[in-house]
Amino acid sequence: MTDASSAAMAKLVEVARDPRVYIEQWRSGHAGRPVLAILPMNFPRELAHAAGALPVIVQDDQQPITEGRALLAEFYCGYTRNLADQVATGRFDVYDGVFQADHCIQLIGSADIVRSLKPDTTVFLGMLNTSMNDPWAPRQVSAMMRRIRAEIEAFTGNPVELGTLRDSIGAYNRDRALIRRLLDERATGNAAFGPVELQDIITSSMVMDPVEHHALLTDVLLEPRRSERDDRVRVHLSGHLCHAPRRELLEVIEDSGAAVVDDDLYHGRRYVSTDVAETGDPVEALGEWYARRNVTIPCPTRVQQDVDWDGYLVDAVRVSAAEAVIHLVPKFCEPHMLYYPELRKRLDAAGIPQLQIETEHEGIPLESFRTRIETLVERARRRRPVHV
Amino acid sequence: MLETIEKPAEDKSNRLGITRVGGRLISEYWEDLFTARERGKKIVWYNGGALNPMFQAAGLAWCHGEAFAARLAAQRVEGPAQLAGAEYGYNAELCSYSRTHLGCSVLTLQGTEGDQTGVVGAHDQEVLAAKLPAPDFFVNNYAGCSTGQQWDGISYRVFGKKLPIFNISHPFLWGNRPDAGYLRGEEWEDASKFVAEQLRNLIEFLEQQTGRPFDHDALCESMTHIKRAAELRREGLALCKAKPAPATFWDWIASVAPINFLPGNQELVDYFAAVRDEISDRIDNGVSAVKDEKYRLYFDGIMNWNKLGFLSRKFAEHGVAVLAGRYIQNAFWQEPHLIDTSDPILGMAQHYLLCPTNHGAKTLEYLTLRDCEEYGLDGLVFHSTRTCRAFTGPQRLLAKAAQDKLGIPSIFFEGDVADASFYKDGILESRLVAMLEAIDVRRERGALPDGFSAIA
Ligand code: SF4
Ligand code: SF4
Repeated sequence: MTDASSAAMAKLVEVARDPRVYIEQWRSGHAGRPVLAILPMNFPRELAHAAGALPVIVQDDQQPITEGRALLAEFYCGYTRNLADQVATGRFDVYDGVFQADHCIQLIGSADIVRSLKPDTTVFLGMLNTSMNDPWAPRQVSAMMRRIRAEIEAFTGNPVELGTLRDSIGAYNRDRALIRRLLDERATGNAAFGPVELQDIITSSMVMDPVEHHALLTDVLLEPRRSERDDRVRVHLSGHLCHAPRRELLEVIEDSGAAVVDDDLYHGRRYVSTDVAETGDPVEALGEWYARRNVTIPCPTRVQQDVDWDGYLVDAVRVSAAEAVIHLVPKFCEPHMLYYPELRKRLDAAGIPQLQIETEHEGIPLESFRTRIETLVERARRRRPVHV
Repeated sequence: MLETIEKPAEDKSNRLGITRVGGRLISEYWEDLFTARERGKKIVWYNGGALNPMFQAAGLAWCHGEAFAARLAAQRVEGPAQLAGAEYGYNAELCSYSRTHLGCSVLTLQGTEGDQTGVVGAHDQEVLAAKLPAPDFFVNNYAGCSTGQQWDGISYRVFGKKLPIFNISHPFLWGNRPDAGYLRGEEWEDASKFVAEQLRNLIEFLEQQTGRPFDHDALCESMTHIKRAAELRREGLALCKAKPAPATFWDWIASVAPINFLPGNQELVDYFAAVRDEISDRIDNGVSAVKDEKYRLYFDGIMNWNKLGFLSRKFAEHGVAVLAGRYIQNAFWQEPHLIDTSDPILGMAQHYLLCPTNHGAKTLEYLTLRDCEEYGLDGLVFHSTRTCRAFTGPQRLLAKAAQDKLGIPSIFFEGDVADASFYKDGILESRLVAMLEAIDVRRERGALPDGFSAIA
């Protein structure tokens, strides 16, 4: 690896693991420009970027939950309890405003905690239509995108010029496309990066300015890596909406004889699944992006009768030739809990071995996971054709 | 760990007699539903806001998913449905209404193999004590809670994606704008119009499903009855501000089903008139709902349906009149003045939006503190409803606001809407006793703010 590429990778890792340092650096180089906390998973960051802000997707920061316990019930998902804790302990103070466009009730609940604890901070909720099939959905979504644009303009004091918005769209598209290339390569067998490195690459792109991220990632790729092909069992990781699975868990998966070849994680393919059209009205294009994203990788938080996460999963497994699926379900994530039996049923019907792992914000039982993953690997191995 | 739940020593509760009539109406409704298909009726399964007047006007039979799950839990026969749900793969931490009802779907499908009677698996009928007919189509009307909305999307899949489904999107009343507030502001107006428009689309959908033109007059008539019933209900609720209280939260819980899904007709009006009259008579005759009422509390959380009678006795045993709650004062056609009976669609849309899980914490704080003051309450009990994140999300904020702004204490206890296993009696008992002692101490010191004077 060249000095440039390893320094670039080190920077991405640093940003992914401690976004606050990057945020402070960015702030000192961009006096007077706001840093926005963006909550997953649907907010069009391009609008905020075009207004000169740094839109940072708030990360689960892996600190133990202390004061947050007094704000949200213990049976809220780890990500939302962590958000409440970040706010209560001042770790959220790096942000100037909070913007979200979503409809998971737990996320709305945690945003309400932010609003209550920081009454002088703007905490905006853009209600993008969740029911995607309705004839009036496109109109509703496009009205909300215009509304979000107006909110961003009012908050930043900067107009979102259409030309600038197109530039921002282009910048995010380029960054997404580059990450997608890595994911595609992995699925076709050339795993240039392990799952932890890929997660760092993706997490840092959720935090950084896209132009800067793209430049660093390009540097990283100056040194092409090729993985050694081995006979580990190829697995697809599914789920983990909103926040990243623990790095230790990804390591245990790979240590247990599995190689991750694809995923539909938010800190994975889901995040980069869809580009925004660069022609036509850019605000309309953001509305279409929202709708198309749910078709590219269906999300259990949306209501859409004619697309299925389970169907997507079986197709993805065929494309990547994954031999097994590991469902990573954050404890208490209702959209995932509701959908899980459909996933299980469909994979069973397709004869694809699977394993459900329920993750927690703290204290995940890695050793018991290891045993279960090894068993899955064994099962998958036994299904391999025997060459005589 | 299993806990032994002992019965309170003496039953000091004095529940309204009229709710037995409500119970009969509810039983008749379900019996009617179980035989609806035999009578040639189409059946709709729905969730969320009370769309029943629409279905009534369309000549349908309707089954409210939460109501059926609540009924099974209240009758303590939810087990087989939850087991079927668990076997199908639903995690025990998932909303117990949804997994009970989805479990019913699974049983329904198992029981209909080869025939179309649509009866929940015949072999399970005894334990289920119910015969839920399979749906002809679904309508989802869930405001506030994304789980409620997704649940029907999953029912649709469980039934093989063959049955039609109509989903209504409800904007969460978040209150971004400076003019936002309860029943006011641009957000409220816009959301009301948007939902009303979807209800008009629902009418078209119902016409397609039934093959008949929708009977708008029948809708107006049904809403006229519902409006009147809701007015009577509010009058009765207001009478409960009297000290000592003539009726309690638990009486109103017993009247949730009638206001939430029974047909809008004269019988419904008569029922709520009788509820109001019984309360009024009690005031005239000095009859109280709790023997030796000593404390007045607020109850926040969806009802723990397995424990309705038990909790009513338990609180009464401690001299507690539970009088108000988000689930009662701020739900179920609670603003009847919004209904224009000659054109009820907008007012209906507004009520659906007013679901108490569809407001930001700011509005909930306004409503909760208002009710605490109006009913002269000494404290709040939060039912930390284990699998309902929609209701529990703002509870800590509400407790803090009551403490900071009104100086009144709260306790939390764990339980669930339809899963008895989450209820911890020891926790409720010890926390309740501690709070009541604290209230006593403050009364002795005379430290309660205005409006919270001791009830001697
Ligand atoms: S979608 Fe799941 S992980 Fe995301 S906030 Fe909601 S419950 Fe939490
Ligand atoms: S989580 Fe609560 S509000 Fe949501 S569907 Fe279940 S019971 Fe209803």
